[in-house]
Amino acid sequence: MDAVLLSQYVLSGVVIGVIYSLMALGITFIYSIMKMINWGMGEFYMIGSYVQYALIVSLFGPRQWYLALPLAMAAVFVLGLVIQRWLLRPMFVGGIERRDEYATVITIALMVLFRNLAIVLGGPNQYAPPDYARPTTLVTLPISGNRFVALISTLVLLGLFYLIIKWTWVGRALRGAAQNRVGIQTAGIDVLRLDMLAFGIGVALAAAAGALLAPDFLVYPENGAISTFKGFEIIVIGGLGSILGSIVGGLLLGVIEALGSVFVSAAYKDLYGFLLLIALLVFRPTGLFGERERSV
Amino acid sequence: MTGRVRFALLTALLVVGLTSPALAQKPVKIGVLTPLSPPGDAAAGQFIVRGAKMGADDVNARGGVLGGRKIELVIEDDSGTPEKGSAGFRKLASQDQAVAVVGQFHSSVMTAVQALAEEFKVPVFSTQASARQITERHLTYTFRTHVIDPDRCQMWTRWVKERGFKRAALITENTDYGVGLVDETKKAFASMYPGAELKTIIFDRAVVDLTPQLLEIKSWKPDVLLNGGIGTPMYLIIKQAYDIGLHPAVPMLISYDAPSRPEYWKTLGEKGTWASFIVYYHPTMRLTARGEAFRKKYMAEFKEDPIYGALNGYAQVTLLADALNAAKSDKSDDLVKALLANKFEGWNGTISFSRGEGPYWQQWTPPMLVTQYTRTEMPFTDVKIVYPTELKTGDWMPAKR
Repeated sequence: MDAVLLSQYVLSGVVIGVIYSLMALGITFIYSIMKMINWGMGEFYMIGSYVQYALIVSLFGPRQWYLALPLAMAAVFVLGLVIQRWLLRPMFVGGIERRDEYATVITIALMVLFRNLAIVLGGPNQYAPPDYARPTTLVTLPISGNRFVALISTLVLLGLFYLIIKWTWVGRALRGAAQNRVGIQTAGIDVLRLDMLAFGIGVALAAAAGALLAPDFLVYPENGAISTFKGFEIIVIGGLGSILGSIVGGLLLGVIEALGSVFVSAAYKDLYGFLLLIALLVFRPTGLFGERERSV
Repeated sequence: MTGRVRFALLTALLVVGLTSPALAQKPVKIGVLTPLSPPGDAAAGQFIVRGAKMGADDVNARGGVLGGRKIELVIEDDSGTPEKGSAGFRKLASQDQAVAVVGQFHSSVMTAVQALAEEFKVPVFSTQASARQITERHLTYTFRTHVIDPDRCQMWTRWVKERGFKRAALITENTDYGVGLVDETKKAFASMYPGAELKTIIFDRAVVDLTPQLLEIKSWKPDVLLNGGIGTPMYLIIKQAYDIGLHPAVPMLISYDAPSRPEYWKTLGEKGTWASFIVYYHPTMRLTARGEAFRKKYMAEFKEDPIYGALNGYAQVTLLADALNAAKSDKSDDLVKALLANKFEGWNGTISFSRGEGPYWQQWTPPMLVTQYTRTEMPFTDVKIVYPTELKTGDWMPAKR
């Protein structure tokens, strides 16, 4: 095996893994704060890609994708706030006993609704915004300009997320809510408002992934399905609730899939991630960076 | 007017209405089961539906079938998945009582529903599903008016040989269609072009990142890339091959006619230039009187040249109407007998079904041509036929660097 070729496979896995980790981060962040799984995450990815496409085609043009990106994220953030306020908040204030089931039903219903709305409004065909940048080379890997842009933007977004969570007052409050929802209320913090914020940020991260990958992976009603699937795999590998885990898990999954699909068979690309996932569930059920839940 | 007189008049109108042949007769239902949403090739389904609707309108304008009964289409979405296709076929056959079902596009779906066609005794037509086994099973209620994959693969092997390409790479999806393409191309290369090398890669249809596979192909240094994706995967292969510098430096042949659709350039832009692709219809082809009338009507209604799927959907509905009239019955066994015993006017020739050997069972095959886009945003009407030699309208060209 040619060393250059091997490095290309690894790099292509790293690139896609980093971008997928954005999706995983959104899922795990919502879980950390609200203790619920958002099964409709892929549809927020899909909405992000549609909004980005619409903004670029009708307003900004491909050269100003960086103006469309925050707007696409903001639109989905607001949608997330509205959904959390009207559909998910009753979980915590409505005396609902089975919160997990409630969240599952609501988010799966949203998934079906958004997917069908996309078919009704945009038709079943695929769209592609014009390229954000010309193809380039990353070390040894010839790469699309779009994916290079997506990689850099993802790293920037991950950095921003880290800074906000680590150094701002809101970030500290969110970390507090992740550790103990009851405890943080004794400090006078409105945890329901934090839930709204967390859900908005989580779905905006998914929208960013959708917007960044739109020129490469196309815009169509089911385009979020595969990244949601990868997102869930990554959080189990990295550890549910762990931010570092979602990044490392994304990288691992990307590289393993890239190598497995070349050295074994491309027809079973999804299998390699699952083998890793099963191995982890057997030997380290909490994932690479997950912690055992403590109960008092 | 007194109440009694009014009642008598209404009763008389009702009696006359019910006994009038046009109102008393039930419509004849034909099912259109086709992909109208992802993951199926929804654009293809939309064109098939367009053609089928125009076929039903034409038949009804001519007075319908079986002495005045109207054709009513019942449209179902199979999403390109066997499970939705099976559910849709069951509904069409049992609840809607369709006399036949047209519109099948994906081979995996067609393979699933043809078993149900035998169970319900309802003829099913492949409009664009080309896997060999569909007609090779020799089922009573399965018909096809589309090419079959052994012919497709022999054709592209001949094209590869004529161009002098020695190393061909085929990348395709893990569906009945994709796996069939690999098997048939291997056979065709072994028998028709033994000196050439063939590399095949089958990928999972749900996968969106094909970069590692395309890098592998690039490092193998092929002379030509055969693109066996259907719908979204076909576009992903072109885009990602372009991004890693594989296409158009290495010529690409797309296995079916999707590039003839208007969405092609919207999705790909300049990346779609220099692609060669197989088509079954070309605007310069001579059509039958029925086909020509359809083309004119289609162009007037949609302001664009028809797509093959629309032509075939139209032809299947009109030939079913002819078969119903020939059978003088809407019973399935009579309909099958009529389909086998008669000849029908298609869009570019006479369609007849015979029970030949292997996959040539209840099968009618349209022509296959290789065409090429040589500039960005090139309209399909300007595309030249580059193969087969006897039908050529222009020369195949390598990409300009």
